[in-house]
Order: sequence, then structure tokens, then C-alpha cells
Amino acid sequence: MNIAVKIGKSVFPNPVTVASGTFGHSEELYSLKEVRCLGAIVPKTVTLKAQEGNPPRRICETPAGMINAIGIENPGIDVFIAKKLPGLKKTGVPVIVSISAHSENDFALMAQKLNAAGKIAAIELNLSCPNLKKKVLVAQDAAATASVVRRIKRISKYPVIAKLSPNVTDIAAIALAAEASGADAVSMVNTFAAMSIDVKRRCSRIGNFTGGLSGPAIRPIAVRMVCETAAKIKIPIIGMGGITNANDALEFLIAGASMVAVGTYNFINPKAPLEVLIGIMAYMKENRMTDIRELIGSIKR
Amino acid sequence: MHQIQTTAKVIANQKVNDAYYLLTLSAPALAKMVKPGQFIHIRVNEGFEPFFRRPFSVYRAKKGQVQIFFEAVGRGSKLLARKKKNDTLDVLGPLGQPFTMPGKGVQQIVFVAGGIGVAPFMVFSDILKKHKARKMLLYGGRARAHTFSMAEFKKNGVEAFVATDDGSVGVKGRVSELFKNIEVAPFTLIYACGPKPMIAAVASFAKERGLKGEASMEEVMACGLGACLGCSILTTQGYKTVCHDGPVFALDEVIF
Repeated sequence: MNIAVKIGKSVFPNPVTVASGTFGHSEELYSLKEVRCLGAIVPKTVTLKAQEGNPPRRICETPAGMINAIGIENPGIDVFIAKKLPGLKKTGVPVIVSISAHSENDFALMAQKLNAAGKIAAIELNLSCPNLKKKVLVAQDAAATASVVRRIKRISKYPVIAKLSPNVTDIAAIALAAEASGADAVSMVNTFAAMSIDVKRRCSRIGNFTGGLSGPAIRPIAVRMVCETAAKIKIPIIGMGGITNANDALEFLIAGASMVAVGTYNFINPKAPLEVLIGIMAYMKENRMTDIRELIGSIKR
Repeated sequence: MHQIQTTAKVIANQKVNDAYYLLTLSAPALAKMVKPGQFIHIRVNEGFEPFFRRPFSVYRAKKGQVQIFFEAVGRGSKLLARKKKNDTLDVLGPLGQPFTMPGKGVQQIVFVAGGIGVAPFMVFSDILKKHKARKMLLYGGRARAHTFSMAEFKKNGVEAFVATDDGSVGVKGRVSELFKNIEVAPFTLIYACGPKPMIAAVASFAKERGLKGEASMEEVMACGLGACLGCSILTTQGYKTVCHDGPVFALDEVIF
């Protein structure tokens, strides 16, 4: 059974990964056999300089999901490369490094630093984190998305993945812009801008006032977005949004995603990615599929 | 640090008073690993309601069993209160940093507990049974309905003092009232667990008297593993996660 997936020149042994920000820098989990079974590890987004993150409270529970406004707390790319990356590489699992920046120049500097770091499977551009205090996100603007992708493609020796925000009118249009600028794949979707109010105190439940909604609550919207986008672009899609089990992941694959990421549900069931992989293989066997490509985009219209 | 995810069978779920329950789980591997101050992260329900696991301090861990002492106060804990013998629960643990063991030179150990925050001090006093220090528990509860027998603590050689907000049991007032009655011997260590204002009061008391100690903090938690960075609190060293850097922090480390 061939379940390997190719993005640019990188090959991933299987289609199951984790969404950035849901596995930490995963140093605590390296020993788990679950980690070694992943198709790729995507550690938490790093920025050029260290960021301390948002004031508490940073998360709240919502129906079948959660809102978060962590604020990309991270040690900065230099510390990440020196202290976190070696351990991640040691797992033997391909590493997709997620980066975010306030300017194109910062994105470019980080891409150069990653070139020097060596042996990375891909770079994911987090263009869509809704938690930093900016009015319009890069991922909400097709021209800005195209510009960042084009710049990083010129610099990076690794495949470049653009992570898209669902907080747009037409996500396929942004995906097309990324593709036209040379992106090797898109990952979709990031969290939905959201808030929850404590009516007793008449306060937001989130220190940052608003945050991003994730978890099973958003899954049907994410599946629809993947399906619409897959019909329009040729590059692979990494699909995510509320995946909890193999059935959920199969929805994304059938809709047209080439890889799937377990995100928020890692917090509830750390074994979920492994269960997803086992379930996908069982489904393929049951349906007499020998290649994952028979499954990807197999939706009947 | 290593943790396990296991399916634990409910041995008993005993109602202790109007608010508190003592849940006994069969979890042999976990029971061997737990250290005082650590917690277990329980999925109280299958499906997505409630969505998060719920963290509970370990009350006791021995003979293949793990006990938690909890208050049925929110959605998660109310569901947990309904669990019956032979039900099973998905449990992740043990998680977090334990209390620091007091050295041999420590002469007095004071546990300060607000309400259900008393939980970790039982397993701690089990382990400290042979420690020569004078051991005290200062327990504050809202009312008689939130008090329980101190016999188990007394068996561990712990002197227990109780305060209630309404004076229905013990001294009337907050647990901080009980501080006034303790004579501070040299080499006293304080361990606190309870509501944040109580811990803040303990921290300022400790600072006034020049005492060292630790506090077990609480925060809304998602992963419990230090991955999501959702439960961070402000400390003298910046934001730290309650689940992984804590829940035990030095008393003078937490910024209230």
C-alpha cells in the first residue's frame, strides 16, 4: 500500500501530521511511539524574535471546540534552531517548520536561517494567525499572500507551504494566488475569529478579547473550504479543522486534501494522529485501494 | 518526565459531604508513578461535551489505586460525580511538577488548604509520615457542608486546624485567620493549595515572616502536557504553564 505523499521535492511517509501550535515543540513527547508514526511534525510557529505571548486567560472551552489566543509564545528562531530543532530531527520524522513574521523582510531572514539549519522537509508560512494586533492579515489579502510566497520561494531551498486563514470571503482565491506565486502546497484552515462572553462579569473569556475557534465545531466549514479549493488548484492541500478520528480525516482526503493534520484534538487524545493513520489504512484496505491517490479528491459530484 | 494514557476502572465514588467526592480508580501503573502535587487529566465524558479533559490533584496513590478528592462544582466535575463502580475513564498522567520534598533539617511543615485544595496534602502527608518535622494542616472551608473528617491526616501525624467562613466548624473566618495562631519555628516550610486570593495571602504572610514555601496553582487547561501554552500564568520569570512548569511553583515566584 502506497501512502506516501509528495510536496515539492519532499516525500512524507504517510499523510497524517499535526497542526502547528498543537504539539508544542513536542520535546516532552519524543519518546512516544505515536510521534514516530507521524508523516510529518509541525512544531509551534516560530518568529524572528522571542515572543512572550498574550496575557491570560488564553483559552476557553466552547461547544465541541475551544477558542485560543496564545499569541505565538515562542523562543525565537535562533533558539528554536539551536535547542529545539535537533531533537525534532532526531525523531526521524520529517519536520515542517512553521514561521510567522510582521514583515516580508523578517520572513526572508527566517527562511535564510532555516536554509543554514539544514534537513528540513518544508517551511510553512503562517500567514493567518488572527491573534496579533493587526487589522488585515496577510492571508486575507491575495496580493500580500502572493508577495510573501514569491519572496520566500526565491530564498528557500525547501518546499514552501502557505497556511490559509478561513476568515475570508473566498479562500480559493487566496489559494490560487499562493499557487501562482510558486507555493508547493497550501494548508487549510487556521482558526476562525471568535469570542465568548462571560455574562456574569460581562467580560470576554479571553484575555486578548478575541481569539481563534478550533475543534470539531468548525470541521464542516473546513471540509467545504477544502473541497472548493481542491477543485481550483493543482498543488497539494494539507487539510485540517476539527479532525478527531479516521472518519473525519477521510472527509478531508475525499474532499481533496493530500495530507491531513490533527490539531486541537491532540489536547484531548494524544493518540489521535496514530488512530487516524491506522483508520485510513484500514479504510483503504476495505475499499481495495493500493495508493492514497485513489482516495484523494475522490468525492462524487 | 513520562506520562501514560490509560483506561481506569472506577472502584468507588463516595460522597464525602454536600460538595465533595472521593473517587477511587484502579490504575496500577499510574499509582506507582505519582508524586505528591502531581495531577491526572481525566476525560469525564465521551464525545465533545465537555470538550476538555479535567485536571485533578492526586489525593492518594497506593496499592494499584489512585484517588482524587474533588468538588462537584462545574460541568465536568458534576459528570464525574455521577460515575459509578465499574465505569471506566480515560486518564492521562501523572502530569506536572511535584512538591519539593522537605530536607531533613526542616522542623515545621505547614500545609495551607482552601476548600478542595486540600487534596494533594493527603498523598504528601502519606509520604512525609516518617519525617520528624511538626506537621500542621490549616484548612479553610466555606461552611460545615465543606468540611470533612481530619482523621486520616491525624493518622499521618498531622495536626489539623479548621476555619469556616461562617464559623460553623472551627475558627470563624478565612484560613488566613489560622496563620495568626501558628508559632513560626525556624526552618518552617509552607505548602499552599486553594483559591488564588488565599494563595496570595499565604505568599504575603510567608514574605512577611521570611518563610519559604510552594503553592499549587490552578488554571483552565487544555492539553496538560505543556504543548498548547493555554494555562500560562505570570511569574517572576515570565509566563509559565501551570500544567507543565507547575502546578507547583515557589511561593515567591507567582505574580498575583
